[in-house]
Amino acid sequence: MANLAQFNLRPVGREEFQARVLLEDLISSHLVQRPSHHLALAVWYPKNPSSPEQFLLELVCSDTSFEGFVSDRLSLNWKTGSNTPPFVNLRVASIEYFSKLLREHPGEIAPYLNNCEVLYFDKKLLTPDVLKRFNVITEPQELAKGWYVSESEYAKSRSIRELLSLYSHMRPMFGLIKTEESSNFENCRGILHVEVGQKWVPLTPEGIQTYTYYNDYQSGRPVYLLFEGGALYEVLKFEVKTAPDYASRFGFLEDTLKPNDRYPEVYLRAVHPSSQRTA
Amino acid sequence: MIDTLKSICEQCTHLHSARLDFISAQPHRQKDIISRDLKELASAASLENEKSVAVRAGCLLESVLYCFIQAESAQIRRRRGSFDFNPDHSLNNYASIFNRWYSNLLTIPDIIVEYRDIIHINRELNYPPDICQIASRELLRLLNALLERLEQYAALTL
Repeated sequence: MANLAQFNLRPVGREEFQARVLLEDLISSHLVQRPSHHLALAVWYPKNPSSPEQFLLELVCSDTSFEGFVSDRLSLNWKTGSNTPPFVNLRVASIEYFSKLLREHPGEIAPYLNNCEVLYFDKKLLTPDVLKRFNVITEPQELAKGWYVSESEYAKSRSIRELLSLYSHMRPMFGLIKTEESSNFENCRGILHVEVGQKWVPLTPEGIQTYTYYNDYQSGRPVYLLFEGGALYEVLKFEVKTAPDYASRFGFLEDTLKPNDRYPEVYLRAVHPSSQRTA
Repeated sequence: MIDTLKSICEQCTHLHSARLDFISAQPHRQKDIISRDLKELASAASLENEKSVAVRAGCLLESVLYCFIQAESAQIRRRRGSFDFNPDHSLNNYASIFNRWYSNLLTIPDIIVEYRDIIHINRELNYPPDICQIASRELLRLLNALLERLEQYAALTL
């Protein structure tokens, strides 16, 4: 099963569950069988699990550009060689073409948005407008992403710009949702997040124990967090907090089957490497 | 001074006393390979070889997930309706499958795949200079936590 876990999982009825599994299997096969067409998005539309006819939109990132939709119809029991219902009506388009439709002829994409569900996505391949149109939410609105800067790298650095040039090529190591900030922006606290299956979710008190920044802090060493926008903070402390209101208040993306209300909250103070060197 | 790899490895008890009961009894080679690699990982950690530890720990993470998911194929099939274990998948795929079906045990963050990929020089060149220092430590701790949870799971289910 290619990228099986990137599919959404939610409690459903038996009919929907079966239809979903069959569609997921088809999508998985497309992920493997089409090396020149990188699948970026698969949308089940309109979702009607009891119907003998299902509909699937696939957007691909293709080595060779093509205009319009390519259509196909096949049995969802294709694995067994059977040509029996349910059938899937497949429409495939390139991301570029679909984005163009979104901008220039939004009415043409309306059928794909009707009672639809995203079954698979690869956010690296998709444009922000497509992600937004299909309501693919991968992070809370106010999430700031960044990297842990070790004591030694901080000591060597002359400016935040220099640090950014070192770290910004790499996937962010954490995200932060600020829960409070001082009026002069010098101090703040917040909940650290981690990217799991393309979605940013809050760290748990147990989960944070793996991370070097947490262990370095526990060992009494200075810990610096650098953010994409150029802010640099020193960690003052971590404090496990029970806050059942945080998830809804700050829009955390949490597993609804496994809600969490205990978070390691981090307290931060802004630092300015160049000014410290001068001082 | 940051924590030495040797001291982390000594604290990570499951790295050097792994029971590996979550792996199928057959074929024997899976347990043998993982046991051997764990010994080599401890050896690299005792020498403070950060790159070697990052690469070996990343490789072990993939091996452990591979063996666990293969052993759990029937269980996933029961829950999902169908599931075929694909031995040709990558760490990213195995982590995804694990996170979907076994996130109650532990979640594998996406960044771990990046850490494992520092085996490729073009990747390491794009990362900050302290990447091996950070990756080696986080991979050791994550692997230890994974082995611990899988052993607990095996004790409850076998």
